[in-house]
Amino acid sequence: MPTTVDTALPPSPRAHLSSPITRAALRVQHEVLAAAREYLTGQGCVELLLPVIGPVTDPGARGAKQVDVDYYGHRYKLMTSAILYKQASLIAFERFFTIAPNVRLEPLETSSTSRHLAEFHQIDVELAGASRDDAMTIAEGTVRHIVRRTTERAGAELATLGRDTGAFVDLLSGNAFERRTHAAAVADLHELGHPQSPDAEIDWAGEAVLSAKASRPFFLTDYPKGSRGFYDKESRERPGQLRNFDLLAAEGFGELCSGGEREHDYGTIIARMRETGENPAKYGWYLTLVREGIPASAGFGLGLQRLTRYVTGLDHVWQTTGYPKVPGMVAP
Amino acid sequence: MTAPARRPPPLRADGFPERAVRERARLGAGAVFPRRADYGRALFGATGQPPAADQPPADRLDLARLVPPVFMPERLEKLIELAREPLHTDVDLGTDVGGFRSALPLYLSAFGSTQVASADLGTAASRQAGALGIPMVIGENVVPVNGYGRLAATAGRGLIDRIRAYAGAVPDGLGGVAVQQSTEDADAEVWNLVYSDPTALPLLDSGRLAFELKVGQGAKPGLGGMTLVGEPTAARLAEHFALEGVYGPAATTVLRCASPGTFTDEILRQQIRLMRNNFPRARVWVKLPPGRDVRSAAQVAWAAGADAVTVDGAEGGTGWAPSAFLAGVGLPLAECLRRIGTPAGCLLVSGRVWEGLRAVKCLALGARATGLGRAALIAVDEDARSGLARLVACLALETRLLISALGKYRPGALSAEDLWWADTGQAEPAALPAAVGGG
Repeated sequence: MPTTVDTALPPSPRAHLSSPITRAALRVQHEVLAAAREYLTGQGCVELLLPVIGPVTDPGARGAKQVDVDYYGHRYKLMTSAILYKQASLIAFERFFTIAPNVRLEPLETSSTSRHLAEFHQIDVELAGASRDDAMTIAEGTVRHIVRRTTERAGAELATLGRDTGAFVDLLSGNAFERRTHAAAVADLHELGHPQSPDAEIDWAGEAVLSAKASRPFFLTDYPKGSRGFYDKESRERPGQLRNFDLLAAEGFGELCSGGEREHDYGTIIARMRETGENPAKYGWYLTLVREGIPASAGFGLGLQRLTRYVTGLDHVWQTTGYPKVPGMVAP
Repeated sequence: MTAPARRPPPLRADGFPERAVRERARLGAGAVFPRRADYGRALFGATGQPPAADQPPADRLDLARLVPPVFMPERLEKLIELAREPLHTDVDLGTDVGGFRSALPLYLSAFGSTQVASADLGTAASRQAGALGIPMVIGENVVPVNGYGRLAATAGRGLIDRIRAYAGAVPDGLGGVAVQQSTEDADAEVWNLVYSDPTALPLLDSGRLAFELKVGQGAKPGLGGMTLVGEPTAARLAEHFALEGVYGPAATTVLRCASPGTFTDEILRQQIRLMRNNFPRARVWVKLPPGRDVRSAAQVAWAAGADAVTVDGAEGGTGWAPSAFLAGVGLPLAECLRRIGTPAGCLLVSGRVWEGLRAVKCLALGARATGLGRAALIAVDEDARSGLARLVACLALETRLLISALGKYRPGALSAEDLWWADTGQAEPAALPAAVGGG
């Protein structure tokens, strides 16, 4: 099991890039990406490239600061996630994926979680007309296919990294990933003596505790409203609960992926924006599209570096990127 | 020959007991008594006047009187604890203010647009508040919406200087800073900016950082922030704010209006939950305007997990507001306190508080602490080094004297029975007619 708190930091760029560990990890990541493309293309998804800057970005990153960009005198943002463009792009394609770079100036306390980077990538998928179940099925299939292909094609690299591929037996057995509600996870954590607010996301330490007890990835569903951005759809049957999910890795590696059904109704989105403290005025372009109509959808974003870390079994997520930016650290 | 540096004209606060506040800021604790020179020469007795004789009573709170009992079981308890007769110096004013340990049941309120006009006053007030070990709220206007950088570049010197001045002076284990954000400030991401900035890290690490959600304000309930800006600034702000040329086409200043933000009970509840979710290491404060449903709003805020609810009475506020709002909009502080009743959490109030009598009345009606707004600004304007400290020394001495006179030795022991309402002759303030009451 990986350590949850560690002070180890990336070495110099030359030492990092010439390290056999970095080279093996990046080779594994290459196979992860190839397998993701293979699987998602097989599911009828088109690969799109989405913007890196825009007038507004996903506000739903907990505690992270957005990065401003001077765009000809207008204040633009680097994407913290591609969510707004993902919903908009459904106008062009009903099923697509994108490998999206994200920048989030995470709170400084995340520098020691071993799984936060200020700059990272997501394998983003969006499916028109899909339910949460549909999105979870695709997410599960994606992860399973990636792990299978990577263990087949990058066995030498995984051996270099000392990864025991026996850890994936349960994942590859074909048993469906367990699905547990947020409320049940909170109850489990309370039983284990971990204080966890029932109104908030599972905290990082809590995720690590739950993850450490699992032998294959598992889903947490039905997060409470107030823990996520305005675009996660609220349950009609159970107001206050969101039709969303997180996918957590086994062995203590923690969260890999977030997703869910999306709000697409104009009035609901405006109200939800207010509930998340947003000023709708700055979402002009997005709200214009929503008002004219965008498809209902579900989708997810799978953290590429976190998934690579899980597959390689490395101690730190920064080991899975050539130019790591650990929160708060000045790095190229 | 170099021209001598010109001091800006002194701050004015019409309709506020400015002279009395300036006197206290100059003289310190001795100013809670009549003039020393009159001792042994003049006869003293009740005047029937509020403490600042040049001011009429502001509201019913000024008309209420503190009424010590004859029999004092809590004084007996203190006597047993101390094994001697207790004095006013035995009153422990230390209290929890919105999750912070405060040396006094006091905090420094946010300043409105006045702060924009004079950043130096804000920094001086911050330093003194820190040294006093009382929490401080930094207002929304401190962070303009423009700029592309980090705290230093975006917020200019206002926010960062105030946090530094405060953190540099505050004793270990005391005080804390609450940074306000309103709906329009959300665009500038004030909280995210502060939460991930090294300047605020010492406060965050010691559990002394809070974020205050500004739902509204005392001086202009129902409206958003307003400032006057010159033309160059106006051009810069035009993308984000409504600007109105209320002074005519020839004027070089325009009115900048921020939207007040839309709230329902669900919007308030979820915004608070999101704050707790996104900033788990910061305390959550909520500032309410003196609205008619202030009780429901406070209850929603506490139930959603707010560490403090701040209520600004209609007589509060330091900022620019239309005269009609100052004259006749919003509930007075006394009525806010009456409607809220027994608070279900930490209640902080502000509105014309500058001396101990009004402060103790607020505490007796359920407030955990009172905020100094205009009074603090005038005090630092009078003396940037020690004006606020002297004003607070007066307030602390009066508070100790008053609480001990009621036979009590901590602010939390005060209750509504300690008040008598001159206009009704009762221990409880008059109930409103059913048609306008409730809330």
